[in-house]
Amino acid sequence: MDFAQILEEYGQNYATAIMQTLSMTALCFCLAMVISILITVMRVSPIKPLRLVGDLYVQIFRNIPGVALLVLVAYALPNIQIVLPWKTCVEVTVVLLASAFGSENFMTGINAIGVGQIEAARSIGLTFTQTMRKIVIPQALRSAVLPMTNLLIATMLTTALGSQVPLNPQELTGLVSYITTRSTGAGIVPFIISAVCYAGMSVLLGVLGNRIDKKVRVLR
Amino acid sequence: MADQTPVIELRHVDKHYGDLHVLQDINLTVHKGEVLVLIGPSGSGKSTLCRTINRLETIDSGEILIEGEPLPQEGKALAQMRAEIGMVFQSFNLFAHKTILQNVTLGPIEVLGIPKAEAASRAMELLRRVGVDAQAAKVPAQLSGGQQQRVAIARSLAMQPKAMLFDEPTSALDPEMINEVLEVMVELAREGMTMVVVTHEMNFARRVSNRVVFMADGQIVEENTPDEFFDHPKTARARDFLDSIKGH
Ligand SMILES: Nc1ncnc2c1ncn2[C@@H]1O[C@H](COP(=O)(O)OP(=O)(O)OP(=O)(O)O)[C@@H](O)[C@H]1O
Ligand SMILES: [Mg+2]
Repeated sequence: MDFAQILEEYGQNYATAIMQTLSMTALCFCLAMVISILITVMRVSPIKPLRLVGDLYVQIFRNIPGVALLVLVAYALPNIQIVLPWKTCVEVTVVLLASAFGSENFMTGINAIGVGQIEAARSIGLTFTQTMRKIVIPQALRSAVLPMTNLLIATMLTTALGSQVPLNPQELTGLVSYITTRSTGAGIVPFIISAVCYAGMSVLLGVLGNRIDKKVRVLR
Repeated sequence: MADQTPVIELRHVDKHYGDLHVLQDINLTVHKGEVLVLIGPSGSGKSTLCRTINRLETIDSGEILIEGEPLPQEGKALAQMRAEIGMVFQSFNLFAHKTILQNVTLGPIEVLGIPKAEAASRAMELLRRVGVDAQAAKVPAQLSGGQQQRVAIARSLAMQPKAMLFDEPTSALDPEMINEVLEVMVELAREGMTMVVVTHEMNFARRVSNRVVFMADGQIVEENTPDEFFDHPKTARARDFLDSIKGH
């Protein structure tokens, strides 16, 4: 089977799969951003137990392979009476992974701010919360644009974990196995089409991220 | 000129960093309108002393009073108290993502609750006073070190502090910019601001300070009027130190 035939037969499936990949990516990335901000605030808070919990969270989810985490969420949680829909399993996995890396990106941004500005903020009477809101978070957000663009792309690629569970509709990677099992003559063509889709979207996000970065970058 | 109302009082202040006894039984009173120069070898605890005064560092024992009131422990009360003591750092520490004007208005708006427009007009007035009003719309990275340090002074002044601490405000500056910052400080001193200044600028100390306090190894070793201290140091430590800084 050549490209034309495959697109003819599965074009609609591809369109749906792209939408599935993108919608999972968008949801997971937004949730991951919210959680990584919370985790990061914990990690820089003056309260030691909070810092420990934040650090632990990052160490755990940054160091577990995605597939292993998915197996845990999808097949181990039911043992303690937590049964999630398949799609939610994938999303929870992706969010846990991405938020750990996201917090690392924010920490890098915060470390670049330097303790000097934070002390200056305290010395004019800003509280911890005000210092976070007015000085630390805005700068960490701006300097995190590029790494977060990379994380967004990584998040999209990680939604390929969806191919390991029965999703309906499937995302881009799951669709490949679906097609190759149904049309055995397809060879590697379905895979190439998916790969091109991933690569195209990644490049687009990359360009977008670069533009935003140029606009908001903090001069130092 | 200095009157006898104490603004900052330290009583038997002790602080350790691990095994290092960085502040040893420090007793010091700074009166209203007084300009006190704190001088001493590197590592003697000058920065630490300044930082304890607005509680950027905690102390192990003793007490620190601001206008007779002890420093609050934590939280909002402490934040308020910090605003009453201005602090100017060696490395300026301007907020990199904010304009010069915003650097000066942030505290008044967020901490003092002053309306934006009023905060902006007051900030412009202060920026004019320190001679950087033309740069108000720029960001810190676009200014020279001397300009940044003058903005940092304006930022502190905007909080209408009861006293100001300067921790080596000119030592990160190129030589040709030192004077523009010192002039602003001289002006402040003339207007009666209570100031604690860590500096090795002897001319500044002689011109404007009322008292020089010499620290070494976490202790106050000697204190005197600037002329007496620089011309007739009493202790061997102070003599050695003065010889070492006159060397260059
Ligand atoms: N956060 C810290 N933890 C441990 N030790 C510290 C800390 N801050 C300062 N010290 C040590 O305390 C001592 C006093 O430091 P401090 O910065 O107060 O000295 P200084 O008189 O300001 O010196 P300099 O002229 O170099 O600025 C030094 O030995 C320093 O290494
Ligand atoms: Mg110092």
